[in-house]
Amino acid sequence: MISCLILERPGVWRTVGVATLLLSVVLPAVPLLWTVFVPPASTSVFAESAFGSALGNSIVLALGVAAVSLGIGLPLGVLTVLYEFPGRGVFLALVTLPLLIPSFLLAIGWASVAARLGASVSQALSGLPGCLLVMSTQGIPLVLLIAYAATSGLSGSQVDAARLAGGERVVFCSVARYVAIPAFLAAGLGGVLTLSDPGPGQIFGLSTAASEILTSFSARYDFARAGRQCVMLTALVLALAAPLVLFAMPRLASEVLVRQSREVRRIHHQWVAGVTVVALGVFVLIGITSPLVGLTLPLAGGTTFFRAWNELARTAGNTLCYAVGAGTVATVLGLLLAVCVGRNAWLKAVCIGAALGLLSLPPAFTALGIVQLAAAAPAWTDPFLRSRFTVCVALGLRFLPVAAVLSLRAWGATSPTWAFAAGVHGVPLGTYLRRVLLPILLPVGGVVMLLVGLLATADITTMLLLHPPGETSLPVAVFTVMANAPETLVASLCLVYVTTAMGVLTVAWTVARGRNV
Amino acid sequence: VNWRFISYLVMVFFAGACNRGSISEVVVYTSVDDVFARPIAEQFTKDTGIVVRLVPDTEETKSTGLLNRLIAEKGRPQADVFWSGDPVRAAVLKAKGVSAPYHSPQAEGLPPQFSDPEGHWTGFSARARVLIYNRNLVPEGQEPTSVMDLLAPRFKGKACIANPLFGTTSMHAAALFAVLGEDKAKAFFEGFSANGGTMLSSNGEVRRRVAVGEFAVGITDTDDVNVARLEGKPVGMVYPDANGMGTLIIPNCAVLIANGPHPDVGRRFIDYLLRPETEKALAESEAAQVPLRPGIPVPEVVPSIERLKPMAVNYTTLAGLLETLSSGYLQEWVARQSR
Repeated sequence: MISCLILERPGVWRTVGVATLLLSVVLPAVPLLWTVFVPPASTSVFAESAFGSALGNSIVLALGVAAVSLGIGLPLGVLTVLYEFPGRGVFLALVTLPLLIPSFLLAIGWASVAARLGASVSQALSGLPGCLLVMSTQGIPLVLLIAYAATSGLSGSQVDAARLAGGERVVFCSVARYVAIPAFLAAGLGGVLTLSDPGPGQIFGLSTAASEILTSFSARYDFARAGRQCVMLTALVLALAAPLVLFAMPRLASEVLVRQSREVRRIHHQWVAGVTVVALGVFVLIGITSPLVGLTLPLAGGTTFFRAWNELARTAGNTLCYAVGAGTVATVLGLLLAVCVGRNAWLKAVCIGAALGLLSLPPAFTALGIVQLAAAAPAWTDPFLRSRFTVCVALGLRFLPVAAVLSLRAWGATSPTWAFAAGVHGVPLGTYLRRVLLPILLPVGGVVMLLVGLLATADITTMLLLHPPGETSLPVAVFTVMANAPETLVASLCLVYVTTAMGVLTVAWTVARGRNV
Repeated sequence: VNWRFISYLVMVFFAGACNRGSISEVVVYTSVDDVFARPIAEQFTKDTGIVVRLVPDTEETKSTGLLNRLIAEKGRPQADVFWSGDPVRAAVLKAKGVSAPYHSPQAEGLPPQFSDPEGHWTGFSARARVLIYNRNLVPEGQEPTSVMDLLAPRFKGKACIANPLFGTTSMHAAALFAVLGEDKAKAFFEGFSANGGTMLSSNGEVRRRVAVGEFAVGITDTDDVNVARLEGKPVGMVYPDANGMGTLIIPNCAVLIANGPHPDVGRRFIDYLLRPETEKALAESEAAQVPLRPGIPVPEVVPSIERLKPMAVNYTTLAGLLETLSSGYLQEWVARQSR
């Protein structure tokens, strides 16, 4: 019988486990990245001024997105947990909606609105401002959800104590301080995610590193050049992330001494509820409604809902399969990673640094690596390397860094004394995990599933390169019809997609509310 | 929490996800727009009973795209056929050793200048690169007639083109270099910038933004303009340079993938694509494509190939030229257009 104490003791298995899990994420990309080091690799890309300036733009954009996301997402995440307000379920569904929408769709929506408002608006949005607007719309929900999950982990008695000590202002400040580190990391992840996304840069005319890598792939079919650019981008991210990791790592999680006996209870506070509703309303109006209006304006000229409905019927099953599969893979691997890291500070730092670095890898690297691997493997491996399962695993691995950060924090917040007590009383490891730890980690697992499912659904590149023929998802269907399809069809598809997504999210938040999550 | 039940559910889910399709099928990757390719594929299934597993791409330039997938799958391809929207991508596949030669008996009557002489790709129904203009902004009688009109003072700050590193715009750029020569082609791009021209992300964007009046004129493909016209947008179309260097014709290309899983069915699908009936169907579709065979009846809005003056280009050499330009002048030009 394995003792529960193994969870709190050091051991080589931790390093081996962490290395294996992190390598599994990077392994598919190795064939392409390897070309960087194989002769006759030219180093000219490092000296290209165009790539240098694109890299600079990308870093500025990533830092801007991180700052905006943190500034707005953190307070909103705290407020939505602590206070009751009207339309909570719908607001939360709306706020998380941008994670489901591929960034290029939001950008096209904004470009469409700007084109109708006049040249000056288009001019104002071109370049960095437009990209910042679109990318922040996706960064804010990421921070909000992680701040939400972190705040939900507080004990009701802690919040009540703060309230007694100094009222709502003290509650807000104390909780914001408590969740600041995970929110800070989430903002970092949101910023890093922008580095691998070429869509908004292409639409708003901003030269970014992702655009340059896309050009190497799609205009020059030069995988080696793309690999060199990618290595440079990742190295820069790691260099910039190092201080962030060193700062955040010791503060990532504070252990709770006892199992949380009472969850945070949301209270009614008229003034705060008003502020929360206004803030969420402004975000929804600017971040979501405006681009959606741009996308759906052509509906004024007629609808083609029947055709759009057919597309939904054709792709809904696969879309759900990919989202759930990716969420499951990321959740399981994220929790395994957290178990392996335990309370080892050095491993925690490695994991967070790796998470930031891995997220900066363009999804095409992993996807094309898997495609090459499948092409080299025998036919009997197809159910594993060329099926919907492959897409689920690839998407799960792509967003494992997001799952890892949340899981590390959740694991770190558990108390080592629980394992000690269970070990002393001879409780088997399986029973301890099943009866004590997993129920505590379940809400975090739910958030990870939701987050990764949303992000995976919007990841067009991985899906386009890996989906088995005929097994496409709805966002890819929207993407592939939008070039020349009538605008009414594209608008109808967008509306059907957004409405369905809203329905699913509203149900998810309503269920969560029923369970006081 | 019933962990056994959850584990069972997870296993069933992933077992289902591992499920593969049937074998009585043909896998077709296509860069032709889904809305135009799918009806042809569905008709093939109705006529033959063979399921078409269609994997569409797009010319919207925000993803790494299917051509890379085909190149990466070269060792053991999943695709039987690549239905390309232009000959340049087909030529890239030939150069990378991804395609196999196939001389279809159905290719009879198709002009040989639109196909690979070695049979790696066969051209059929075509689009053309055209000028799109907003009828509310361009008075009657002052319509542009040449791509060089984008440099005219009357279109200062009102002209747009798509990113010339991607899609059919890249092919058009290479064709300009081939036909005009390097100096004049560079002068065109520099003049476009000097005249306040704007580079947009895709041909679809050109269509959308000319249609709403943000730009007066742009260069795009015939199917883009036809879709806008069908939607009642105030746009007009001109086949440029009818009295000069001619209009760039972009044929669809059928490519057989080397070592594909269903080569016989793949050939059968290519035969189906190259039939006169398919050319007629594509002419009558929203794509309004021009049949390359003479004598095929076409709707009023579709010109017959005899009425056009095609630009005299060698499609096989365009791919090589484009590769050089993409890593040279065009890349520099695009970098200057972006902020």
